Formats: sequence, structure tokens, C-alpha cells
Amino acid sequence: MSVFRDLWWYFRQEKRSYMLGVFFLLIVGMLELIPPYVVRLVMDAIKQHTLTTERLLLWLGMMALTGIVLYFLRFVWRLFIFGAAYRLAKLLRRRLLDHWSRMSPQFFHQHRTGDLMAHATNDVQAVQGTAGEGVLTLVDSMVFGGIVVTLMVTAISWKLTLIALLPMPVMAIAVAYYGKWMHERFRIAQAAFSDINDKVQENISGVRVIKSFGREERERDSFALLSQEVTQKNLAVAKIQSLFGPTISLIAGIAFFLAIVFGSRFVIRGEMTIGELTQFTMYLGLLIWPMLAFGFLFNILQRGRASYDRIRTLLAIEEDVKEGEDAIATPASGDIQIHIDSFTYNGAHTPALQGVTLTVKKGETLGIVGRTGSGKSTLFKLLMREADITDGAICIGGFSLNDYQLSALREAFGYVPQDSFLFSTTIRNNIAFANPKASQADVEAAARMACIHEDILTLEKGYETVVGERGMTLSGGQKQRISIARALLMDPEILILDDALSAVDARTEAAILSQLRRMRQGRTTLIAAHRFSGIEHAEQIIVMDEGRIKEHGNHEQLLASQGWYAWMYQQQRLESLIEQGGAQGDHTPFIQVPHSTP
Amino acid sequence: MITRRLFRYLIPHRKALIGVILLLFIATAAELTGPLLIKVFIDDYLIPESFPRSPLMWLGGLYLGLHLVSVVFQYLQQFAFHRIALAVVQQLRLDVFEKVQYLGLSFFDRVADGSLVSRITNDTEAVKELFVNVMSTFIKNTVLMIGVVVAMFLLDAKLALISFILLPLIFGLMQWYRRLSFHVYQVIREKLSEINARLSESIQGMGVIQAWRQEQRVAREFAEINEQHYQANIKNTKLNSLLLRPAVDILHIATGIVVLTYFGIGVEQSAVQIGVMYAFINLLDRMFEPVNQMTMQLSFLQQAVVSVGRVFELLDENELAPSKKGEDHPRINSGRIAFENVTFSYDGKTNVLQDITFVAEPGQTVALVGHTGSGKSSIINLLMHFYSIQQGRITIDGHSHETFDKEELRTKMGLVLQDPFLFVGTIRENIRQGNDALSDEDIQQAAELVQVDSFISQLPKGMDEPVVERGATFSSGQRQLLSFSRTMALSPKILILDEATAHVDTETEEKIQKALNRMRQGRTTIAIAHRLSTIQDADLILVLHQGMIVERGTHQELLAQQGLYHKMYLLQQGMERAVG
Repeated sequence: MSVFRDLWWYFRQEKRSYMLGVFFLLIVGMLELIPPYVVRLVMDAIKQHTLTTERLLLWLGMMALTGIVLYFLRFVWRLFIFGAAYRLAKLLRRRLLDHWSRMSPQFFHQHRTGDLMAHATNDVQAVQGTAGEGVLTLVDSMVFGGIVVTLMVTAISWKLTLIALLPMPVMAIAVAYYGKWMHERFRIAQAAFSDINDKVQENISGVRVIKSFGREERERDSFALLSQEVTQKNLAVAKIQSLFGPTISLIAGIAFFLAIVFGSRFVIRGEMTIGELTQFTMYLGLLIWPMLAFGFLFNILQRGRASYDRIRTLLAIEEDVKEGEDAIATPASGDIQIHIDSFTYNGAHTPALQGVTLTVKKGETLGIVGRTGSGKSTLFKLLMREADITDGAICIGGFSLNDYQLSALREAFGYVPQDSFLFSTTIRNNIAFANPKASQADVEAAARMACIHEDILTLEKGYETVVGERGMTLSGGQKQRISIARALLMDPEILILDDALSAVDARTEAAILSQLRRMRQGRTTLIAAHRFSGIEHAEQIIVMDEGRIKEHGNHEQLLASQGWYAWMYQQQRLESLIEQGGAQGDHTPFIQVPHSTP
Repeated sequence: MITRRLFRYLIPHRKALIGVILLLFIATAAELTGPLLIKVFIDDYLIPESFPRSPLMWLGGLYLGLHLVSVVFQYLQQFAFHRIALAVVQQLRLDVFEKVQYLGLSFFDRVADGSLVSRITNDTEAVKELFVNVMSTFIKNTVLMIGVVVAMFLLDAKLALISFILLPLIFGLMQWYRRLSFHVYQVIREKLSEINARLSESIQGMGVIQAWRQEQRVAREFAEINEQHYQANIKNTKLNSLLLRPAVDILHIATGIVVLTYFGIGVEQSAVQIGVMYAFINLLDRMFEPVNQMTMQLSFLQQAVVSVGRVFELLDENELAPSKKGEDHPRINSGRIAFENVTFSYDGKTNVLQDITFVAEPGQTVALVGHTGSGKSSIINLLMHFYSIQQGRITIDGHSHETFDKEELRTKMGLVLQDPFLFVGTIRENIRQGNDALSDEDIQQAAELVQVDSFISQLPKGMDEPVVERGATFSSGQRQLLSFSRTMALSPKILILDEATAHVDTETEEKIQKALNRMRQGRTTIAIAHRLSTIQDADLILVLHQGMIVERGTHQELLAQQGLYHKMYLLQQGMERAVG
């Protein structure tokens, strides 16, 4: 029941729907008692030979009217109560999305997509069930059941009611026990089911090994065994599940029998009419449902309670990056001054960055190279305030990042990550993601700069091609170029390419970068890259290693210093020669380092 | 169509099914005799107010006895229904699983693992719901309704005629609802999957959304779909309220009115039997409950049909693994492999291999080198007959490799994959690979050959140590060695190595290299090599680029050529220097 208390805020918010809904539901419950009453009247009148046509017509008219009103009211209460429940589901889904929108990437690392989705699907569904069917079964079992019993006691016979209801507690207890057993067995069956799930998963991931060892038949046999197991476990569930119907039927039958046997005595003694007895047995029939509903109720409430708790826990997580009270609302602009003494991720032991100090003047290009995990992406994350610096500060235009509103800060940046994420909408909408009102000409211009325009035109539907639709696959390089076009369309103050061209071939990369140099005069660009050719022209290049700046300078300076940069540069030249199939006849000695000046 | 095919799965259970329906008839008959007995009681004893002891005892005993019979049979019948349904689902699952076993690798290249798993498990589970709930409800309640009609005719044939109007009306109502709701249901399902797709996309793309400050727009667009889903739900609720329970109930009341009118008007002609009236009203109650139960199942029916469709789609898949050609049963004796002008394409458009020709003489080692995508793995895929070749020929000991029995290819050709995929089970089972011809001794020898025996003997349970999913508790080097031993257990004539690129420590690396050298002795070996240092003693090195052999020769010859191989060698030397 406590879940109703937790949901009270919603019941209050939807006061009108719930009050009217429950009100009509109660009226329905009472009106349902009328047809048995009419049956009794007619029956008794027939028996006592007092039935006249007028009376019959009156009574039947009453019954017909009841039927019509019932139909109408049943329609109305469903709309009120179920409608409110659907609105709750809608509200919860919206709140979840709002909440996620405020969360930092940290949050999404800690919570897997599947987990979060389970909140928005199964849990929301369960809470919706509580607010709809839960309320209904509560009213039905408690209130309606109560009304029927009251009526049986007051209007017909309290003695007969007591006798007939004698077996009912047995049913309630039996059903409760079955529920407990079934729950246990069901859990076992589910575990067996998840075993075959794992088995199939293993089988499909290991398909190559299976085929090369000719394991197919053996696999089939062991699957058959597991699947047999599932069947056995499910049969155990079925053994209990099949008890419900017959048990209810047995108890109801006994109740009927008792009602008839003892009822007839009352009839003979004149304490009761035959019509009343019939009416009584009809009421008994009406009681079966509330009894069952009582059993369902606990199930629904239990599920709803667990799910609502999960949703509440999730929604209670606060964003880890917060804005100051009177933060600057104008977009960040100007020189970037980075001064990080040390930064350690939450829960990590070793610092991810140490002693990183440098200044990037407005309009300059900074190149960052280094092995995977050397701290390049961490630096970008701090720059965009995805996490707060623990020791040190980053300033843009003289103000600390923390002084800006988050949206003002983000407006300054155009960030293109390595794993370019595209939405399942048209290519045009993907490029115009940040500015849906952009003209087609602007979109195409951005696509040209990112060297993806021609690729798009070869697609059957061109810019209107929907990403990710059946048979539509974009290569990694194409996806990266589309997400670069998305950034270029916005022409941000500070463009960050975080290894964003890794899947693009060297020649296209060079073309894109030369476009960028031309277009981004006066604006700041930060590029992290594996391929050094992409950052040769940068005013400053830093080499990161284990969270520190290992080498710092421009291309020529770094080559001259004969460090890691110079050595990697040679290796990369060799590699690119191999990729091109050796470029027959190229006998350039590898050790000499040719370079072009920008 | 789908339903008919599904019903074919019931054929092996037809006897059991007939038994169940028989049980059902008995249970129903016993159940429906109850009201008739009460009628006899009311009309013959209660109204005349005569209560002879022994007939009444009989009547009461009969009532309770029949009721008990009905309840017991109900239970037996329900359980039997479950048993049949579960057996059908198991058969369906086995069929799908077996089908998948014999699909070609080209199929697995194309279909995502996740969707395949879900079809074998979740979709067949939905079929279970269909059989256990939907079908049993329909059969049970149909029998019950027939029983009620029969009982009505026994009571009063004239009044029972009303069922002839009632039944088509109910049936029509259900059909009408099904037609109307089908569309609404589809909309709800579509909107719900759209909601889920949007949400999961928002979670995955939240970084992009936040970076471009589109939170509000995304929220707005989501709210739109959320609203559409809500509206569809409301529409469905309205439809349910108009046509389902409330409609069935008003029909119930209307019938009640007709019955009362019948008795009320008939009262003047003859003495109405009150008992008949009681029984009739009671039977009517029993007739409408099944209707409500059936209508409740309609929506499940529609969901299950979609799942069943997906299962059958998979069963109809005909992208089978390539099969053996010809009637001969050639044997692999010496292990001479020859590729003759082999050209191959996965998709029929771009060739991944072009005009590949080479010979591996018995006992020789042929190494394949080249960067990612150059076609090395495709050569192995073809040799293992995972795919059919389109042009050219591969022969083993002079016979086309397509004419060998699968069994022969698998026992004589040992493949070591890059990913040392281990199965859940014990170490022994993983080495044996279900080949019962192998004795424990053979397995021990295989382990000794690759020198993984000392590692195994250190495990608490030795050979019987359990292996968890993918062997995650072992290091990658250990997994690699175990996968060597399972290949060597078959003592193959030909060894095919897809060298691991996994990072292992130097000591393990040395062990692996030693093991590989021992394995290669006396066997024809085709090896994909990433570290050129490991193949310096190969008899032939093929350098692949874009599906073509661009250089060939021994290590020394290739270095002397100063071509691609030479550059690769220099690159790796540089790398090793940097690491060391």
C-alpha cells in the first residue's frame, strides 16, 4: 500500500480524474447489484402469482436503464482512471529524459544504456499499472467486495452470508500459497531460460570455432538438453499455475452448495423467498472477482513499489557539474589559458593529467598527439567542463570555465569526437542538427568542406537518406565526415577535433584540413590526431604521455628535437607507404625527414 | 498461413490433444450438470416442499461428486495443455537452433548477433504464451460455451433458441473488435518502439545533444511522440470500453431481460418451473464469463503472431553453409595444398581475392602477410570451405576441396583462430570438442605437446577445472595455448594458423612461439602472421595487398627485393626497438 502513499502527489495532481473515476466505479459497483435484484423480484412474483405485465415492464425497464447507464459509466471511469495512469507514464518518461539531459558523461559511463532503458520501459510500465489497474483492483476488491457482502448481510440474510462465505478464506489462503510457490518456481524457470539465452549467445559468438571443429551436432544436443531443462522447470510452474482455476471453482462450488442447502431451509421456514435465494447466489458469483482482485492487488503493488523506487533513485541523482549563481550568459570567447596542476577522475587512484600548462591564443591551432590513454580526451573533457578540475583552472577570455553558464560555455565549442554518433534521421537533419533551420545551401556548403558532399550525392535519396535504415550503411569515415560537417555548419568559436578523422583516408584528411585552415581564420581549432600529417600546420603541438606534456613546440621544432614526435613521424611515413602498396620504385631514404612549410 | 504452419507442430501431439479435449468435455459436462441438479432440486423438492431424505442425499452427493470430478478434470486438462504447449515450443526452439547451426558464415556476417539470439529465445517464448494462454483459453471456453448451449437446450429448447442470436452476436462483436483494434494496436506498438528508439538514441547521443545544446529540441520532439503514444492508448482504452467488457456486459443484461420476459409472459399459460428459470440465469452467467476471458486474450494473440512470423522467417532462411560436392570420399594423406587462380567476393561486387595461386607442399609452411583487409583471412575462410569459391580451384592432395567430407576436412585440418574462443564446460571438454574417439591419453598428450599441461595440473581440479563463459578466468596467453591443444588433439595433417595479436607478456609469448614451432613439425602449415619475426623460416611468404599477391619468396629473397615486405619489416623493427 505504501506505493499509493508515494504516488499521492500524482493522485492529488490528478484529483479530478481519480475522484470522478473512483466515484463512477463505485456507482458501477452498486448498479451491478440491480439485475440480480430484478431477477429476484420477477421470480418471487411468478412464484406468488402476483406478476402483472405492468410490473414486469417496469422492472425490466429498470434493468434496461441500468444496463445503459452501466455501459456509459464503465466507459467513463476507464477513461478517467486509465487515462490518468497513461498520463503518469507520459510524465515519468519525460522526467527521465529531462534528467538524463542534465547528466554528465560520467553518469552514462556508470549506467549502461540497457539499464537506463529498463527504467523507461519496464519500470514506467509497472508504475502505470499501479496507478491504473492497481487503483481499479483496490476499489474492486475492497470497496465493491465490501458493498456486495454488506448487501448480502443486510438485504438478504446475515446467517446465510456467514455460512456461504465460510469456505472463502480457504480460497484466499490457498491462492496466497500458490502465489508464493509459483513465484519460486517461476524464478527457477527464468534462470533456466536465461541459461539457454547464454547458450545461444555463446553458440552464435563462437560460430567460427563450432564450424571449424564440426561441433554443430554436439551443440544441438547440448541445446536440446538445456531446452529440455527449461521445459521441465516450466512444467513445474504449470503444475501450480493450473491449480488456480480449479481451486477457485472448487471453493465457489462449495459456497454455492452451502448457499442452496442452507438457503432452502430458510425458504421452507419462510425466512427467505426463493427469489432472494437466487439473488443471493448471483451475488456470490459477483464476489469471486473481488476475491481474485485482492490476490492480484498485492502482485501489482509489489511490482509498482519496486519499480517506482528504482525510478525515484535514478531521478534523485544530481548533476555533478553545476552552474554558479550569477554565471556569465554571453558565449565564451578569447584566449584559452590552461593551467592544470593535477586532475584525478572520481574513484581513480592515479591522476589522469599532471602539470599541463599552456596558452592557446584566439585564432590559433593546437595539435595534440600521444598514445591512447595519454590524456588527450581528458584535456578536452575538462575544457568543455564535463568534469570539474580538482587542482588548477582553465580560463577562456580571462574568465574561469566555472564562471560561465553551461550553455554559454558549450555555445563556444564545436566538439567532434572519434566515435561519431549519428541520429536515425536524414543526413540533412544530422548535419543541421544544431541548427534545424539552416538552409539547404548552408548544409551543402558544410558538407563540401567536410568532403562528404559527393558521397551523399551518390546515395539514392541524397541528403534525404535516413541514417541506419535497412541496407543503408555508412562507413566509419563517412560518419566521421558527416559529424564534422555538423560542426562546421555552426562555425563555432573553438572547434575540437578529437581524433575525428581516424577512419578517413590520408588524402581526404589532408583535403578537409586544408579547407579548415582556409575557413577558420581567426578562430581557434584544437586537433587531437594519430596521424601527424593532420597537425603539421598547427602553431603549437603538444605530445602527451601519461597525463603530462612530454614535448611542446611546432612541427619543425619537434622534428629538430629528435624525440618521440620525430621518431613517430618517420614510422608513420613508412606505414603510409605500405598502405599504398609500397609505391613501387619509391626509394626515398626513410631517415631523412622532408617537410613543407605552411 | 502462419497459424496453419504453427498448428502443424501440434500434429505429433494429436492423441494427447484429443485426450485433453476429452477431459475438457467431461469437466465441462460435470460442471454444467450442477445448475441442472439445482433445478431438479428446486422444482421437484423445494417448491412442492417435500424433502424425502434419501433422494436428497443422493442429489447433494451427486452435486458435490460431479463438482469434484469437474475440478479434478479441470486441473488435469489444464496441466496437460501446458505440457503439450511446452513440448511444441521446445520442438520449435530445437528446429530454429538446428537451422541456425547449418547456416553459412555469410549469414552470420550479415545478421546481428543480438537479433538472432532474441529470435531463438524471446520470440519462441512468445509462442509459448500463444499456446499456453491464448489457445487454451479459446479451446476451453469454446467447449464451455457449447456445453452451456447444450444444457440450455436440455432445459428449455424454445428459450435456448436465443443462443442462436446471441452466439453470432458475440462472435461478430469479437471480429469487429479485432478488425478495429488491429490498427490501433499497431499504432501503439509503433509509437512505443519509436519512444524506446528515441530514448535509447538520446542516451547514446547525449554527448552530442549536450554539446550542441539541443536538449530542449530533443525533449520537445520526444514529447510529441510521447503524446501520440498517449493518444493511441486513450483511443485503445475507448475502443476496449466500447466493445469489450462493457459491451459484453450490456449484452448479458439484454439477454437477462429477454429471459425474464419469456418467463414473465409465459406465466399465464402454464406453471413456470422456477428451477428452470434459476438454472437458465445461472447458465447465462457461465456463458458470459468465457466471452470476457476470450476477449482479454485477443490482444496477446496479435502480439504473438508477430513473433511467430519472425521465427518462421528464420526457419525459412536458405543461406546454408556450402555443402560437399560429388559422391567420392577422398582422403587427406600427405597434405599438399594448391590454390589455382582463386578469385572471391563476399558480396558479388568487390573482389576481396584476385587470382590467388600458390602451392604448399607437404610439410611446408606458407606464411601470409599484409595489412588489415588485404585478404589473408579470406584465404583461410575459403580453404576451410566456410564459403564457396566463385572462380578458380583449391585442391588438397589433388582433389578439389569441395569434394571432401566435412568430417575429413575438420579432422585433418586444424584451425587455430585469432580469438581463442573457449566454451563453457571443463578444460577436458574444451580440448576434446565432443570427439569421443579421443581418449584421455590423447588429450593429455595434446596438452603436453603445446606445454599447457603444467598450467593445467596446477589448477585445483586439473583437466576437470570448469571453464566460464569465454574462458574469462584464464589469461589470454593461457586461452591461446588451450586453443592450440584442442586443435592438436585431432593431430591434423594440415595446420591453419590465424596468429593472435593479443598482447601477452614476453614469457608467454615465448611459450606460444615454442608451441607453434612444435605444432608445425611434420605438418603443412598455412599461417597468417602479424609479427614478421615469427615467420623467418617459412618456406614461402606471400605478401598480399588489396586481395592480390604482390610479392612472394622466402624471408631473405623478399628483403632483397626492397619492396613492401622490406618496408613492413623495417616498420616492425622500429616498433620493436621502441617497445624494447
